[in-house]
Amino acid sequence: MHDYYSFFTGPFAWITFLVFIFGSGWRFYSIWQLAKKKDSAVFEYMNMKFALRSIAHWIIPFGSRSMQINPAMTVVTFMFHISLFITPLFVFGHVVLWKENFNISWFTLSNTVADLMTLIVIGSCLFFLWRRIKLADVRYLTTPMDFIILFIVAAPFVTGFWVYHQFPGFAVMTIIHIISGEIMLMAIPFTKLFHMFLFPFTRGYIGSEFGGVRMAKDW
Amino acid sequence: MKKIIHNIIILTSIFVTGIGLILMSAGIVYADDCFNINNESIDKNTNTRPFICFEHDIHNETAGIENCSECHHIYDEHEELVPDESSEGQPCSECHADSKNSNNTDIGLAAKYHKLCRDCHLSREKGPVVCGECHRK
Repeated sequence: MHDYYSFFTGPFAWITFLVFIFGSGWRFYSIWQLAKKKDSAVFEYMNMKFALRSIAHWIIPFGSRSMQINPAMTVVTFMFHISLFITPLFVFGHVVLWKENFNISWFTLSNTVADLMTLIVIGSCLFFLWRRIKLADVRYLTTPMDFIILFIVAAPFVTGFWVYHQFPGFAVMTIIHIISGEIMLMAIPFTKLFHMFLFPFTRGYIGSEFGGVRMAKDW
Repeated sequence: MKKIIHNIIILTSIFVTGIGLILMSAGIVYADDCFNINNESIDKNTNTRPFICFEHDIHNETAGIENCSECHHIYDEHEELVPDESSEGQPCSECHADSKNSNNTDIGLAAKYHKLCRDCHLSREKGPVVCGECHRK
């Protein structure tokens, strides 16, 4: 127990940070190279004004036609993404660890709010799972990796909920919680989760092409 | 025969009372030994986790700690540990008080406390290390 804790909060945590940072750098670089080689029009048509206009429409709830057509998906996806980021950064148990290890701290969520947001993430993952299995058009685009990603994202929240409520075996579950968070961070550069960094560019390019070439809305 | 029964009753009463007194005194010792680490600066924060009692004497006996300064340490102005001096009776916040200055994030004191316990537990590979092992619901 103690050596596992030491390892996964020590050396393995640093390996995780390095993989996350350098993996993301490498991913940016390789996509950049690929675009230069295969689709150099991307660089010519990229336009800041059209890019920001498109991003703005897609980052505001119901800002695009697609979001208006699928209201359930819109509500769930916004609640999901907000909870996904806010909870781990501002839950009290994590902030106290930042204070202990790096002597920095910030605003913390109340226990009830953090608990609720955790349930939102778990519930959303179940919704996405249902959607991938049940909706024909989504199923058509689904690969096994999409299910793995869902599992990777849900795991830190399921284990976190388990640990906070001290269900049986919570001590071991705390170690699993740490590992699951580290797996998620390491998976970001190498999976679709990389859209957290890539979305301004993909959205921005579509916005540029629609705005500057097709003279049409892309939202 | 009557005398024997009489004696048995008396002896049994003494025995039961004795056991009772031992249990009660043990209870009192237990209660006395129960430290709730709950500084007022942390108390304000509604997000803190519940704390079970810290059984000071039992802990030190089990861990074989005889030198008070192992936990009740003193650092000099150069932040060097003063080996033979200890600070028992002095609240942690007297030195580790930076936590009192920051309003919403008054967790500095808790962080110091966590590190004191956990670092020792990790180096000895004994005792609680994850949140819920001390902060029982």
